[in-house]
Amino acid sequence: MTAAKVETSAEDGSMHITLSGEIDLANAAVVEDEIRAAVSNQPTTVSVDLTDLTYMDSAGIRILFVLASRLQALRIVLELIVPLDSPTRRIVELSGFESLATLRPGSH
Amino acid sequence: MPAADDHRLRQIDAVTDAALAHLDVEDLLVELLDRVRELLRIDTATVLLLDSSSQQLVVTAASGVEGAVRQGIRIPMGKGFAGRIAAEKQPVIVERVDQTNVLYSTIPEHGICSLLGVPLLISETLIGVLYVGTLDPRRFTDDEVGLLQIVAERVAFAAQSRRAEVERTAAAVLQRSLLPARLPVVPGIELAARYVPAENGGVSGDWYDVFTLPSGWLCIVIGDVVGRGLGAADVMGRLRSALRAYALLGGDPAEVLGRLDQQVQHFEPDMMATVLLAMFEPSLERLYLSSAGHPPPVCALPNQPAALLDVPSDHPVGVPGGLRRRTTTINIPPGALVCFYTDGLVERRNISLDASLEHLCEAVVAGPVESLCAKVITQLVGRDPPGDDVAIVAVRRQDSGGIGPFDLVVPALPWALRDIRLAVRRWLSAVGAAPRAVADLLVAVGEATTNVVEHAYGPAGGTVTVHMELQSPDVLATVRDTGSWRLPSSEGRGRGILFMRNCSDELCIDHGRAGTNVVIRRRLTEEGLQ
Repeated sequence: MTAAKVETSAEDGSMHITLSGEIDLANAAVVEDEIRAAVSNQPTTVSVDLTDLTYMDSAGIRILFVLASRLQALRIVLELIVPLDSPTRRIVELSGFESLATLRPGSH
Repeated sequence: MPAADDHRLRQIDAVTDAALAHLDVEDLLVELLDRVRELLRIDTATVLLLDSSSQQLVVTAASGVEGAVRQGIRIPMGKGFAGRIAAEKQPVIVERVDQTNVLYSTIPEHGICSLLGVPLLISETLIGVLYVGTLDPRRFTDDEVGLLQIVAERVAFAAQSRRAEVERTAAAVLQRSLLPARLPVVPGIELAARYVPAENGGVSGDWYDVFTLPSGWLCIVIGDVVGRGLGAADVMGRLRSALRAYALLGGDPAEVLGRLDQQVQHFEPDMMATVLLAMFEPSLERLYLSSAGHPPPVCALPNQPAALLDVPSDHPVGVPGGLRRRTTTINIPPGALVCFYTDGLVERRNISLDASLEHLCEAVVAGPVESLCAKVITQLVGRDPPGDDVAIVAVRRQDSGGIGPFDLVVPALPWALRDIRLAVRRWLSAVGAAPRAVADLLVAVGEATTNVVEHAYGPAGGTVTVHMELQSPDVLATVRDTGSWRLPSSEGRGRGILFMRNCSDELCIDHGRAGTNVVIRRRLTEEGLQ
């Protein structure tokens, strides 16, 4: 069974979500629920770190799109941290995600 | 001795002869007991054999006492009538059975009045008890005691030799059943193993095991339980299962062996085993090893002489007070071969261990694994059976030239996606695909297989077939099902097909009557054509 870890931390009005492992059809619903449960309406910025995600396909991209449209409605800024050499960089680029969120190569 | 008794004794002799050789030990004892009842004109006769591990006497055969064997009656040493005979190793007579001189109600229930019992001894070592009983009060004579002791000698000998034979057979069957019947098929890896039993036909606790973990790691185990026979084979079976379970929990080889060590020290006191655990990472590029007192494997690189791997040996499992265990990492380039073995291979009479290890290194080359196993056995063991059991496992990482196409057929269910990805990743790494090409092909094949899982079949389900082959400089991946795709129902799926297209140099989706064929072509190098 595909496994992914969702870790969250918050500081000064921003919320960090770190994803690791893999996301495909088998675990997408679980990952989506975990992210949804973790994000409140309090932060002004949500950053999602994909550095340690070793595989993601359209099932994972769909989660990010749904999250992006929710946050847009709440006026919360979404940032994706995807280093240039990270395994999911290409799929994120291909998805046209840049129009919805800021893509950053590193967490600092 | 009266002539009639002498005649009956000859009957007992006949019972122990070849005529009844096909009977197992229980049936043979029943036959003997029937003759004893006739010989001594008594009503019941019972044999209890000592279970050495629990130090209890177990009712093994009975004549004239219904159901005594089936009840599985066990009597501790020293307790009651039979226990007293066993503890004292002397004949005991009870003329009037009552609550004070027998332990179990089974005897009075059958209305037994008088008892005579003698120990079953093999050169002064107790192996059980034989006793007879009468329904009417009986005063046993010295002659009768002597006669029963003669019978006991024969019973003891028959029981012992039969039990030894049964144990040998059981141990051989157990060991055979515990060695993997078939080695796993792992793309990019060639595997072969041999097991050569020792010349005396007995078995030892040698074992090997090869299995994959859900994380994609490939584990190779070789070990040797100290001791021989059924006991060692039995412990070996438990260690094998425990090691598999501990490997499943994750961690490096040293951690896994540490858990096994704790298990052995707690549950198998007085047992000791040497074990070597080697784990290939999913890309097959590195091998992680930890040795619990086991001889180091031999490694051969292509066109180079073989050498012993520099794996430090930590304490065997089952030895308390050892220091921390270590894991060693070795790079395994394509074409390299590693040979694991048990000490029976290198411990030869009249040859020093160093000389044997040198012979082994001379025999090992980075070539096909099956012929290598045959060569090593021929050169180190020769034609005569070895003095100790020998187990060897040879593993070779295929070089990209030797990698053929790969096929995988799995149920079209979400959980299979991960297994497909692992296998594809491994194959791509073996053929030397660049990281960017690997990432692209994983997504393209991942999307195609996800489509099959989501859209090809109704509730009855079906399978998805993945075929990968090298058509230099391209990789050709084919994903096939035997269903019919429904139109993508959500935006997400439409995106999936877009990803497939963007991650391949050429994509062909062919919906036929017999199913759908998706053919993906992608260059092996970093950049695709796009």
